[in-house]
Amino acid sequence: MLETIAEILLATIAVGLVTAGILAILIWVRNLTRKLSILRLFIQIIASIAIFVILLFWPLPWNPIFSGLVFSIALRLAIVFALIVVVTIVFGRFFCGWLCPFALYMDLLARLRKTLKIPYWNLPEKLNNHLDTLRYVMLASFVVLALVFGLLNAEVWRYIIMFMGPFKSLIIVFLSPIEPLIEQAGNALGFEVWGASFHDLRGTINYFNGTLLIQITWIVFFILTAASFMVRLFFCRFCPVGATLSILNRFSAFKWTPLLHIDKVEEKCTKCGICKRVCPVQVTEVYEEKGGNVTAPKCIHCFRCVEMCPYESCLNIKMAGKTIYKSKNWLKEEEE
Amino acid sequence: MASEIETGSRYIPKMSQKEIEELGNSIKAASIKVMEQNIERMKKTWPNRPEIMDYFDEISNFFGKREKEIREQKAAGKKLIGYTCMFAPIEFILAAGAIPVRVGSGWYDAAKLGDRIMPVEVCPVIRSTVGAKMVSLSPYLELSDAIITPLTCDGRTKLSEILSDFKPVWYMTPPRVKDDPQSLSLWKEEMQVIKGKIEELTGNKITKSSLRSAIEKMQKATKAFRRLQDLRKGPPVITGRDAMLVNQTSLWDNIERWTQKTNELCDELEKRVEQKDWACPPATLRVMVTGTPMLWPDSWKVPDLIEESNPQGVLVVDELCSGDRILYDPVGVDEWTMSDMLDAVSERYLMASTCPCFTSEHGNEDRVNWLMDRIKEYKVDGVIYYVVRGCILYAMEYARIKRILDRMGIPVYYLDTEYTREDVGQMKTRIEAFMEMLEARIDI
Amino acid sequence: MAISAGVDMGTQRVKVVIMKDGQIMSQTQNFLGFEPTKAAEQALKEALKKAKLSREDIQHITATGAGVDMASFADSTVSMMGADAQAGAYFFGSARTVIDVGAEEARAVNCNEKGVMLDFVVNARCAAGAGTFIEAMARALEVELEDMGSLSLQAERASPINASCVIFAESDVVSLIHRDEPKTEIARAIFDAMAERVSSMVLRLGINPDIVLVGGVAKDAGFVASLKRRLGTEILIPEAPLFAGAVGAALVAAKRAARRQQ
Repeated sequence: MLETIAEILLATIAVGLVTAGILAILIWVRNLTRKLSILRLFIQIIASIAIFVILLFWPLPWNPIFSGLVFSIALRLAIVFALIVVVTIVFGRFFCGWLCPFALYMDLLARLRKTLKIPYWNLPEKLNNHLDTLRYVMLASFVVLALVFGLLNAEVWRYIIMFMGPFKSLIIVFLSPIEPLIEQAGNALGFEVWGASFHDLRGTINYFNGTLLIQITWIVFFILTAASFMVRLFFCRFCPVGATLSILNRFSAFKWTPLLHIDKVEEKCTKCGICKRVCPVQVTEVYEEKGGNVTAPKCIHCFRCVEMCPYESCLNIKMAGKTIYKSKNWLKEEEE
Repeated sequence: MASEIETGSRYIPKMSQKEIEELGNSIKAASIKVMEQNIERMKKTWPNRPEIMDYFDEISNFFGKREKEIREQKAAGKKLIGYTCMFAPIEFILAAGAIPVRVGSGWYDAAKLGDRIMPVEVCPVIRSTVGAKMVSLSPYLELSDAIITPLTCDGRTKLSEILSDFKPVWYMTPPRVKDDPQSLSLWKEEMQVIKGKIEELTGNKITKSSLRSAIEKMQKATKAFRRLQDLRKGPPVITGRDAMLVNQTSLWDNIERWTQKTNELCDELEKRVEQKDWACPPATLRVMVTGTPMLWPDSWKVPDLIEESNPQGVLVVDELCSGDRILYDPVGVDEWTMSDMLDAVSERYLMASTCPCFTSEHGNEDRVNWLMDRIKEYKVDGVIYYVVRGCILYAMEYARIKRILDRMGIPVYYLDTEYTREDVGQMKTRIEAFMEMLEARIDI
Repeated sequence: MAISAGVDMGTQRVKVVIMKDGQIMSQTQNFLGFEPTKAAEQALKEALKKAKLSREDIQHITATGAGVDMASFADSTVSMMGADAQAGAYFFGSARTVIDVGAEEARAVNCNEKGVMLDFVVNARCAAGAGTFIEAMARALEVELEDMGSLSLQAERASPINASCVIFAESDVVSLIHRDEPKTEIARAIFDAMAERVSSMVLRLGINPDIVLVGGVAKDAGFVASLKRRLGTEILIPEAPLFAGAVGAALVAAKRAARRQQ
């Protein structure tokens, strides 16, 4: 009983601190070219802490969601897939820009690079677009490979998981529903399938105990770090989680989703190109499209373009049709 | 061979010193009179003109305080770099410790001199600049240590050739198609070359910190500039000619001082907005001018007629590279590294421009969008499409702009004129008819 | 009961019209000469006499025309285009385009049924689109100005005049005479050239029927025939087209008098 009260108290304090932080940023940061970015950094930090502390270490009642003991497999599947669809419809890839710990990692690398005054590298546009397609190929491969090979040999599944990067646990959150399917199907067919299911995410990090696997994992990690240091948000450009979060946007039938998107007022755009230059994933649609919904499937919703657009009300962040933030004349708030 | 037969200047024949002095002095005297008259007329239209405007009047005198200042600074070792068109990177000039100044003639009498060299079909701004050079009329042109000439139109291309016989001329070749991938890379290379030339002339390297400080100075200037234009959105608290004078002064003045004075003016105007102290009645017809540049002092001909006509009009906004376009677009820097700053400066000059010398692969709508947005924001009643005879680019875009304005229900009048005072009578008739038309539409 | 006067200070002549309650009471004209203000005052006096009115009866005088600044006795001014629009709608309720070919300048105005000017176009650069062209050509043909029209109507075809400029047209005409081209056909060619200039100006504005033609040249049947052919439409011409500007000005004066009474 006391424990629950203590937990609730701690949760309230945490929420209070976070809200205070947000308000402090909104009120005290005067430089309009950095306000939104600083707010985003703050939220990213909070979110990353939340994901790792709450999901991994805090023994809260929802851990059993991933345990086959309390809920049925079908329900697990349904909940996780529903989560993906809802998040995509409502927020699109908002998770990518504001809540993803790997993105935070890459953003911190970029800040280090900026402090050292090292200029970034841009990828050629064609390559960037190919990487965007690559993520769907990767996602499809993981699913197909898992379904095909997982049935045959559990080891292969491990290798596949390994290449998902250091924060594979997150990816597994979205792929784990497949695993019990394999288990069921395999059992039904008489194969002895890799029996471990991820009852909690902590288990995933401990799962890989082979030296070679760990070495390869770390090599991949360093390559991605180096690449993300010079190319902004390198992994985001082909991340398969991003694929799941934006898979609906790819099809024009679903253009009306997500409800959170970037809107451009055509008349106010002078085609100055600032939005294209400051975009960390090199989205060109915001610049090229004439007006209306200019959100690209590649966009991670960091809203840097909106922040840096110097023409009032040209780029707007819209949520369910209502404008929640407009681009401002950022010359105004500089020294006052 | 050309090099043997061409001695001296290639275009301008030798004139006797006597003739140069006589003509130069008479045009200078006439110009001083025109400047004084313009200011008097502005004061007459706006009896309660604020005192801070005296500062801008003083700087607008080409032969006065500013010329003296520049001479003193040059004597102390600073370089003066002129530019003929709004694509020259002012931030680089400031970062290298030099003085930027726009050279482009607004003298009608000088155009008559230029007629000796080239036929009247040539743009009068060009003819007038050549004429001014012939008699060493323009202090800024004469004092320039180098002139940056972006080759945006045919007239400017040949003008730079003519001027290069007298001054070091640095060409810049902006691409005519804005949004090709190769266009931007060409333009960035041009910027690099100009940067090198500026550094060589001044002997100062453009460092990260000096460039950052120059960019921030210009951003502050843009902030003050926009502040002034925003004040014109409501009832007229400042006349169009006075605002245009303030805008154009930024082309010749020390930019930091100009920023400070413009902010003082805006402080005064904001007070007046609260007191509802308008420069002319709130119901005055709101007119927008778009087209070829209107350079001080003689090109005040048309604005004078608009703001003194019966019924009266007031210029609330314009789309002129000598007016509301000058400092409108800021340089947007993402990361203050040298390469990002250079990219930001290069892109700002090429991509934000609404000049009709460009076309684009995707509709070429920059100017159209700017016009449409201004018309709505400033509640414009009618548009004067102002073209000096000889400008093909602006003349050709008229057909497109007219159709758009017809669909918007905004009356537009094509006013073509010349660098002459002889057609004031005709201009007056047409402008008054246009103003009558605007007034009648409001009654409908 | 508004009594008003309209004064049209043209380039050669001043025209005065006095109106009462929308009816024309009198109209006079006078050559401007070297003292235009005096000539205008003289014309006004004569118009008053004809209308049996005195100066005090006039509630408002509006002046128009190229020399409008010299009518210092006027109470207000209106542009020629505005006056033309009013006159066009006054003479013909269906008028939507009014073409005014004066001595030195040609104009066209679009208007609505109330005579409010909606758009206008001016052709001041080309003298071949104005009245003095006919005068110059009449001299070259050695024909009286008044006979030019009837002469041209006799022709079935027009002689070829290639010149784009009136100055060169004059020498063209001389050489055509030497080649024994019939004067009728030359006259027709002259009117065709003029109609060409005027109609291209009108096309810039857009042809909006019904079209009304005013100005001194409107009385010249030769020009009217050529213009009708060029534009391909009927053209309405009021009784006294020379006074259209003054009528328009008088209408505007009446409106302003009424507004001041309120």
